[in-house]
Amino acid sequence: MTMTFEQMRANVGKLLRGIDRYNPENLATLERYVETQARENAYDLEANLAVLKLYQFNPAYFQTSVTSQILLKALTNLPHTDFTLCKCMIDQPHQEERPIRQILYLGNLLETCHFQSFWTTLEENREFIDGITGFEDSVRKYTQVKVWMNKYGWVENEEGQIFIYNQEESVKPKNIVEKIDFESVSSIMATSQ
Amino acid sequence: TRYRIIHDYDLHTGDPKADLAYERQYEHQQTYHVIPEVIKNFLQYFHKTISDLIDQKVYELQANRVSSESIEQKIYEIQDVYENSWNKLTDRFFKTSPWPEAEAIATLVGNDAVFLILYKELYYRHIYAKVSFQSFSQYRCKTAKKSEEEIEFLRSNPKIWNVHSVLNVLHSLVDKSNINRQLEVYTSGGDPESVAGEYGRHSLYKMLGYFSLVGLLRLHSLLGDYYQAIKVLENIELNKKSMYSRVPECQISTYYYVGFAYLMMRRYQDAIRVFANILLYIQRTRNMFQRSTYKYEMINKQNEQMHGLLAIALTMYPMRIDESIHTQLREKYGDKMLRMQKGDLQVFEELFSFACPKFLSPVVPNYDNVHPNYHKEPFQQQLKVFAEEVQQQAQLSTIRSFLKLYTTMPVAKLAGFLDMSEQEFRIQLLVFKHKMKNLVWTSGISALDGEFQSASEVDFYIDKDMIHIADTKVARRYGDFFIRQIHKFEEVKKIKLKW
Repeated sequence: MTMTFEQMRANVGKLLRGIDRYNPENLATLERYVETQARENAYDLEANLAVLKLYQFNPAYFQTSVTSQILLKALTNLPHTDFTLCKCMIDQPHQEERPIRQILYLGNLLETCHFQSFWTTLEENREFIDGITGFEDSVRKYTQVKVWMNKYGWVENEEGQIFIYNQEESVKPKNIVEKIDFESVSSIMATSQ
Repeated sequence: TRYRIIHDYDLHTGDPKADLAYERQYEHQQTYHVIPEVIKNFLQYFHKTISDLIDQKVYELQANRVSSESIEQKIYEIQDVYENSWNKLTDRFFKTSPWPEAEAIATLVGNDAVFLILYKELYYRHIYAKVSFQSFSQYRCKTAKKSEEEIEFLRSNPKIWNVHSVLNVLHSLVDKSNINRQLEVYTSGGDPESVAGEYGRHSLYKMLGYFSLVGLLRLHSLLGDYYQAIKVLENIELNKKSMYSRVPECQISTYYYVGFAYLMMRRYQDAIRVFANILLYIQRTRNMFQRSTYKYEMINKQNEQMHGLLAIALTMYPMRIDESIHTQLREKYGDKMLRMQKGDLQVFEELFSFACPKFLSPVVPNYDNVHPNYHKEPFQQQLKVFAEEVQQQAQLSTIRSFLKLYTTMPVAKLAGFLDMSEQEFRIQLLVFKHKMKNLVWTSGISALDGEFQSASEVDFYIDKDMIHIADTKVARRYGDFFIRQIHKFEEVKKIKLKW
């Protein structure tokens, strides 16, 4: 009997309250949840960080595959800095394992906007993103917004509509003039008798 | 299975010789050694004062009365005990060893659960200050210099200062006090007493709950989990004055860790706002901190560290801040800031090393197979993430200074000035846009909330082959500066007149 994603999210939410989140017996549930996010193109940062934390506390339970999925999902949430948060919780020896090292490299390419190199490298390593539904679309969305904003002044809003955005209006020199209000001056006026 | 509280908190101080000696003694006598008479009397007095306060408060609550003057008086007495007597006795009897375990003094205070929780807090705070969980964790990792004996001792006692134990204590205090529910209700204008529960309604528990949240903020930061660090404070409105924000060291510590977490999350604007706020607070309340040297030292240290972090944040994300803080910052770190702007990674790393928290590993090392610098690894890990971020943004400072010089120019030409290919320059411009877009807190209670904003001093857009640059010019706030100076002189005049 399978649960809906929403049911899983609710269950996991309960697990993450209080001291239960540090209980390694809950790791299996949380790992399954990462897998589900990947399959159903959903995302839950807090749950994923909880997995990384359990790995940090219990290195014997570390799983490269789950960690890789977590990192890739984090990339789909750019420009949020989820990827950085994940890096802070994975220790150096594990960062050097395959394919984590490669995924970190991909992340670096995206953060430094080397999009061509990113797509090329991804092509050469397509197996990494196996099972991550919608990975390419999410990343494409992130890269193209950046490029479009520069080239054509176009911007994609939340509903996925694209409208031409007059940059001249918003990117303008601003002269911020100082305003002194009466209250600040009044106390001085009072004392200078 | 519920994660249960581990009760074998012990009296190991972290000094291996003392601990080994203690351990041997402990095996023979299951009780603590003689507790000085003075200490017994003190604890009984302390207990009585607190019980009386609680009884009085309960009575008044039941009679639906507002806090009376006698409550105020009692609170004052307790404060005095807490701040003066405790410190004096610590200096006299427990300079290098912990206070007696709670279990050892329980009968003296009639096994009063409420008092014992408070006592445990003081007990740990003392150990924390003198020996410190952090120091112990780091000590635990410096295995290379240890003798066989010590390693054997540590190996057979993995529960000493286990991170789980600390988490257990903090979480149980948070739970017992219902502090989160109380804060939720408090911030939405309701009466926290309605959800406080049997223990939570006592201000002691309330405060302990609150301090435990700050303890969790700290612990998660030390473990590199910045998201969870800020998340635990989600019911606390940092900017709001409340009964909880009256303890200066707590406020300062809170802001330090929150600011640091923001910095690591690349929320520069929020980090700057937080640091500037608290540095201003410290500047204004400096004179209050003469009382005990431990407090003063700690605040001083965090003051210096936060200036360092602010210097880093402002280099990554130039923006206007309070003039007096900016002046102070230039005095302390003007030179370093210039070098950071020029891309000197070493200065970034040095400043980070000085200003960052003392990171920890939650894991007991494998004593058989551990290399000498194991204890530095948590720090190295965080430093690496930070250094990577700095490197990714390495060109941005220079690009920013060039952008400020022009309003319109062909992209290729500006690339030439910067000694870059046009393609690489276009890429860097994208990086600029990306890194300058921060998640910024604007409203809501949780400090995790935020919207993407770009309040960069310099902004631009590209139209085919031309770059159009907009500079945010802010008029120098001469008026504000002069008003401040006039007030300062008025103060000086007043003091002179007194004499």
